[in-house]
Amino acid sequence: MSAILPLVNQEHLPTELRDLLNSPDGPAFEQALDVMVRDREQRLFRALGQLARDLHGAMRRLGGELASEGLPDSVADARQHLNDVLEMSALAAHRSIDFAERMRPAAELLAHNAGEVLAFTDSKSDPAAVLAHQASDFAISCRDGLADMVMAQSWQDLSGQRIKKVVNFIESVESSLLELVRLTGALAGSEAPASAVKVSSQDDADRLLSEFGF
Amino acid sequence: MKILVVDDFSTMRRIVRNLLVELGFSNPLIQEAEDGESAIAMLRSIPFDLVVTDWNMPNMTGIDLLRAIRAEAALKGLPVLMVTAENNREQIIAAAQAGVNGYIVKPFTAITLKEKLGKIFERIAAAGASA
Repeated sequence: MSAILPLVNQEHLPTELRDLLNSPDGPAFEQALDVMVRDREQRLFRALGQLARDLHGAMRRLGGELASEGLPDSVADARQHLNDVLEMSALAAHRSIDFAERMRPAAELLAHNAGEVLAFTDSKSDPAAVLAHQASDFAISCRDGLADMVMAQSWQDLSGQRIKKVVNFIESVESSLLELVRLTGALAGSEAPASAVKVSSQDDADRLLSEFGF
Repeated sequence: MKILVVDDFSTMRRIVRNLLVELGFSNPLIQEAEDGESAIAMLRSIPFDLVVTDWNMPNMTGIDLLRAIRAEAALKGLPVLMVTAENNREQIIAAAQAGVNGYIVKPFTAITLKEKLGKIFERIAAAGASA
């Protein structure tokens, strides 16, 4: 053991540690070292805890800025807003598809009826035949256009998937943040309360933060 | 032909249904499931001829559904067409290795769907003829 000690360049050590290293009192050395390390840890954990608290506050403010009409401000609200967007866009897409589904049989019926007229008379001098041709062309382009319109609604699925990813991201940031608070709180000396294992609401989160003094 | 359309977005299920009807498939024979879990339960209880599935879904993803289908003796020959926004190389390879019959990247068109379905049925017919 003693062979290792000379390797330490004592000149770079704090005076208190250098004195201790040279002291013959083993237990006193260890105890003093423990106190020093613990003191440094405490400062680090306090700083981490404060950082977590600040981040959490920033997230709350973000939620507050997104909230309107006097809703309570929280990260949960920010998530809710995104879910609302998801629902509203799905509703709008469904309405467009409803319209297309309603109009398509009408276009098909018009094409069919035009065909019947043309079976009866297809003379270029007959205004009924001319109109039937126009109606048939219109019905066909209408049917194609409606099909394109249905297809275009896939934007809702694609944008919705991105929104879902953002919602999941916010959730994971929040839970990581709370885990950081729990961990730093526990390391800084406070016991992690059993309730801290599962944090389900904003109130739980706030309670947990204040239990650790952040 | 009985077709099962699997997607967690109801809009996408409707879009795929509309396209299939447009391609001439019977509307009442098309059924829908919102994730792999409910899809596999439906497949076990009613016979289907084709599965059109999304990849990214809660509970059970499309790739897991595909693997479950291939792992089950009664279902393993069922054609599966994947329609998904997931378009990275690894995922396409994973789907191919799991035995997917067709892979369509969203957003897609009715023409693409028609082509891929055509290829699936061609291959099935060829496999049936050579067997």
